[in-house]
Amino acid sequence: MLAFLIRSLEAAMIFTFAGLGELVDQRSGVLNVGLEGIMLFGATLGFIAAQTTGSYLVGFLVGIGIGALLGLLHGFFSITLGVDQVVSGMGIWIFGFGMTTYIGNPYTGPLGLERLPTWFGISPFFFLAIIMVAVVWFLLNKTGWGLSIRSVGEQPSVAEVSGLKVARIRYLCVIFGGVMAGFAGAVYGLYYNPVWNYNFLMGWGFISLALVFFSMWNPYLLFGGAVLFGLLWQLSLNPQMFFPGLASRYIWRMVPFAMTILVLILISSKWFRSRWGATTPEALGKPYYKE
Amino acid sequence: MTVAGYHIRLQRRTNLPGWKAALFSILAILFGLFLFSLIFWQAGQSPREIYKQIFGYAFFNSYGLRLTINRFIFLAFASYAFIIPYRAGLWNIGMPGQLYLGALAAFGVVYLLGGKTGEMTASQPVVITLMVLAALLAGALIGGIAGFLKGKWNVNEIVVTMMLNFIAFNLVAFMIKDGGPFMNLGGRGESFELPEAARAPLIAGFPYTLILVILLMIAIYLLFARMSLGYQIRAFGKNPPAARYAGVNPFWISVLVFLLGGALAGLAGYHYFAAVPGVYKIARTYGYFGDLSFYGMICGLISLGNPIATLFVALLFGGLSIGGRSAQGKLHLGFGVDYALMGMLMISLVAFQFFYHYQILITKQATPATARQYE
Amino acid sequence: MPRTRDAEPIELHGDIWKHIQPGEVILDARGITKRYPGGVLANDHIDFKIRAGEIHAILGENGAGKTTLMSILFGLLQPDEGEIYVRGLKVNFRSPEDAIKMGIGMVHQHRKLVPAHTVLENILLGHPKSRGVINVKEAEEEIEAIAQRYGFRVDPRARVWQLTEGEKQVVEIVKALYRGAKILILDEPTSALTPVETERLLESIETMTQEALGVVPFITHKLPMVLAISDQVTILRRGRVVDRLETAKATEQILAQKMVGRPVIFDLQKPDVTPGKPVIQVENLSARNNKGVIALKNASFTVREGEILGVAGVAGNGQHELAETLMGLRPAEGGRILFEGQDITHRSILDRWKLGLGYTPAERTEVGSIGDFTLVENVAMNYYFDKRYNHAGFLDYGGLRQLTEQIIEDFDVATPGPDVKIQTLSGGNLQKIILGRVLSRQPKLVIANLPAQGLDVGATEFVQRKLLEARSNQAAVILISEDLDEILSLSDWIAPMYEGEIVDIIPAAEARKDLIGAMIAGLHREN
Repeated sequence: MLAFLIRSLEAAMIFTFAGLGELVDQRSGVLNVGLEGIMLFGATLGFIAAQTTGSYLVGFLVGIGIGALLGLLHGFFSITLGVDQVVSGMGIWIFGFGMTTYIGNPYTGPLGLERLPTWFGISPFFFLAIIMVAVVWFLLNKTGWGLSIRSVGEQPSVAEVSGLKVARIRYLCVIFGGVMAGFAGAVYGLYYNPVWNYNFLMGWGFISLALVFFSMWNPYLLFGGAVLFGLLWQLSLNPQMFFPGLASRYIWRMVPFAMTILVLILISSKWFRSRWGATTPEALGKPYYKE
Repeated sequence: MTVAGYHIRLQRRTNLPGWKAALFSILAILFGLFLFSLIFWQAGQSPREIYKQIFGYAFFNSYGLRLTINRFIFLAFASYAFIIPYRAGLWNIGMPGQLYLGALAAFGVVYLLGGKTGEMTASQPVVITLMVLAALLAGALIGGIAGFLKGKWNVNEIVVTMMLNFIAFNLVAFMIKDGGPFMNLGGRGESFELPEAARAPLIAGFPYTLILVILLMIAIYLLFARMSLGYQIRAFGKNPPAARYAGVNPFWISVLVFLLGGALAGLAGYHYFAAVPGVYKIARTYGYFGDLSFYGMICGLISLGNPIATLFVALLFGGLSIGGRSAQGKLHLGFGVDYALMGMLMISLVAFQFFYHYQILITKQATPATARQYE
Repeated sequence: MPRTRDAEPIELHGDIWKHIQPGEVILDARGITKRYPGGVLANDHIDFKIRAGEIHAILGENGAGKTTLMSILFGLLQPDEGEIYVRGLKVNFRSPEDAIKMGIGMVHQHRKLVPAHTVLENILLGHPKSRGVINVKEAEEEIEAIAQRYGFRVDPRARVWQLTEGEKQVVEIVKALYRGAKILILDEPTSALTPVETERLLESIETMTQEALGVVPFITHKLPMVLAISDQVTILRRGRVVDRLETAKATEQILAQKMVGRPVIFDLQKPDVTPGKPVIQVENLSARNNKGVIALKNASFTVREGEILGVAGVAGNGQHELAETLMGLRPAEGGRILFEGQDITHRSILDRWKLGLGYTPAERTEVGSIGDFTLVENVAMNYYFDKRYNHAGFLDYGGLRQLTEQIIEDFDVATPGPDVKIQTLSGGNLQKIILGRVLSRQPKLVIANLPAQGLDVGATEFVQRKLLEARSNQAAVILISEDLDEILSLSDWIAPMYEGEIVDIIPAAEARKDLIGAMIAGLHREN
């Protein structure tokens, strides 16, 4: 039971890392639907680097590095070149999906390194995730940097005439988003599920994306959603713990995905929106042209 | 920016002639193939040899060509499934889920008619018609979920279709593995084989679905070029508030495009598992075909949603992925070169989007009158 | 073009504004020239000076180059030629940030504020003080001090979307002053204000000039305003300065003539039309705005064939919601709409088009047209369902093309042809296509939402003539406008709106401008 809870929280921390990056990204007005691709890259390259060098540190650094690069690429496409953000994000996802399947294949199998240490059975990364949630919340809501980011995501032209450099702020945010996603992927591939397999991320990037919509761009709600989904995910893998013999394991595996859809419906409903006053960053997904 | 007396500037396009768009698409493909060749080069193979190998097998070898055509049909359906919602400004990345369900429904018809265990009483035309209808319906239904949610509550269709993919993936597993109803009793986690009467007839060695592909191309072309409905879809795709102002019903457009897209993806599933000679069952590796359907997205994007151009791109990509697989075996490349190709083509396509939106103006300095345009 | 950059002047800001003498030249623009791609000369060697303590009006029609000049002064655009000096120091603005640092502040016509943020956040945005952790209390006190000094009222904690247009403008002014602006550029400062708000603004501007600030309102057609408040006027026409004069020596007629370049006739010929039977009857109609607040309250009126009902009001008083609810773009919260006796309150938008309603929206590029479509495809927006052009689901593009050519001819649209994308058209020509498309259906009811806003004099006149023509053809017209002169010269009945209510419905013959002006400001309520 305890192991079940711990596993759930550890899944939650991965959703949180990826979601926090995407949240900041979206707050600055850039939608990155290629989260899954960046996470796959972070997981796969981090896995390969760690296995070849035998060093976890190298693995994580590679994961973060590739995340930053892909974030930069998304920024270059969507901010500088003015490519539709969804097209660019889709491109990064398919690029990540295709390339990691090819690159990672010879490394199929377990990582073969000693497991990372834990702290009372729970990964230190979990505490890092909690700290980051608080830090991101504080940065976004209490500081000038956060004000700049939110303004760029709401009304870039206003930010521009107020003397801000819209493109620069957005670049920083997408790179941050990439770093977090790459790191989340590395944590997944090096700690949570250190057995490389084709497409072993199983849509966690898309679930993280959905969690950002769910969070209404609030880091605390994001964390709450992540914990909920961590629990659901574990439940779907171990239904016999609570409901022995009820339905096939394949049916249980549908549950988190179905829940994601239900949650999206809930937050999109008028009732929910008017109750919580949820507002999308107004410039989300729209390229900004200085004219 | 100024280089050697020339002033270089970027300018947003307001107009892009069709031939230029086609040119950029071709350049994007070529650039993607160039990126792809880096893989061979890195593996110590000459890209020229490899491409000779790939194209030779895919298009000039009678066995390879057959595989190419079968894959082409599959990709064409998947591309149509992407294009129709795309023209309405909506993203259908649920082709995998839709095609799984299409296949399941087609097999379900055979199952219900008793074809799993014995001979069916119904005649071949009846069985096949029912299978196709079931595949269309099942694909449409799962696709329609995303359209309904989008139209009703503006739920993000990308996430929804992706989640439905995973759900459908597990549903197939449930049906064909671990004692599911469609499980092949003698097999290893695959479905029962279709009896003779449920297999698609061949025309000159190719499944009849090839004809459906051509007919659908004409239908989709007419839809967007001539029909009022296609006009409404395009208007909604380009400017939803303006379309609504003009009386277009956003809810129905969302639902309709996903119903149509899903139905066509369902047909892709029917084609691969019930019409390709030598398959006639839902294979253990059905997930691979789900992944392949993402090529449909690339075809649709690269042809800018044009159903005729899509066919050529689908044929090319079908050949490339078949030839790539063959080269992979012969030349001992890593597994999954067709995945790598997909990634390379996609990223190249995104990079080339730039040219659809911008032009580069190069002016000789001091004499603005001699401004010339290079693209 | 290579631009030599001067030694960083930005750091000098602290000293540059010390010891200003009233009357001293504080901003000097020399030979400002800006050429747009395609060869349009938006600014052609413009010179002008601003002195400390003066209010300097820049007058010109749309397209005269005011916006370009202003954008250059604020660093949003860079001039191709010309120099700008601030207190004698040559400056080179690469971005608004540079201009702000040199003491230039701008108040935009279309408010440049983030609606979702608080007033405080908007004022702090981009301010050097907002780096790091924001000290809310200190900032609030400083803002309060500025506001008090110039007689403004601001609530730093309010959200901007909740504010009226006038309050938003105050926020912009306070924001500029908080950043240390010494030269304040006001773009169309009174266009969205009620008379009372305008009065208050002018008082504050007086206070500012006494402190030797330079204030530059840019005004287009509000000639009385120029005369009332400015000390100097610079008149622009087609990118050139046509005249500079002291306001004291100018009259409305002189200014208008110089601005337009020909004598202006202020009256439109309105033919006599006998009103027919009622086309639309609205009873107690209510609707919500996008924020979910009731923004249209119990509107009731009737418009007959051959009548124009002019709905007057300052932006955001429910006119927009009225138009959208009539057309079905917005659900009615209560009340009924009868069209030729038929209840259409819950009919679809498409049904309303088919029944003979026609709507030209105020948002011409966002709603009224599809930029990526050709003119023909845009015309099809109102015809794709029409039996004449839709045969069993197939569109008759040949016929639509002919129709488009007809509209281009009838409405005098300047375009290379019917097959270009509509986004290549200028604002006036776009509006002509939209109006032409809607009027060509010969609708029984035309709802025109801000039909002439932002158009030049020629296009405005054309649009107004076409609306009168529709009236002569026995159409009922609902004209929504913020321009009282337009309302007065076109309407048969006038409905001033204030806070979502129709204050009164007055026959045009009995209407007085000052009375209606008071009604839309909420000062005068009859009944």
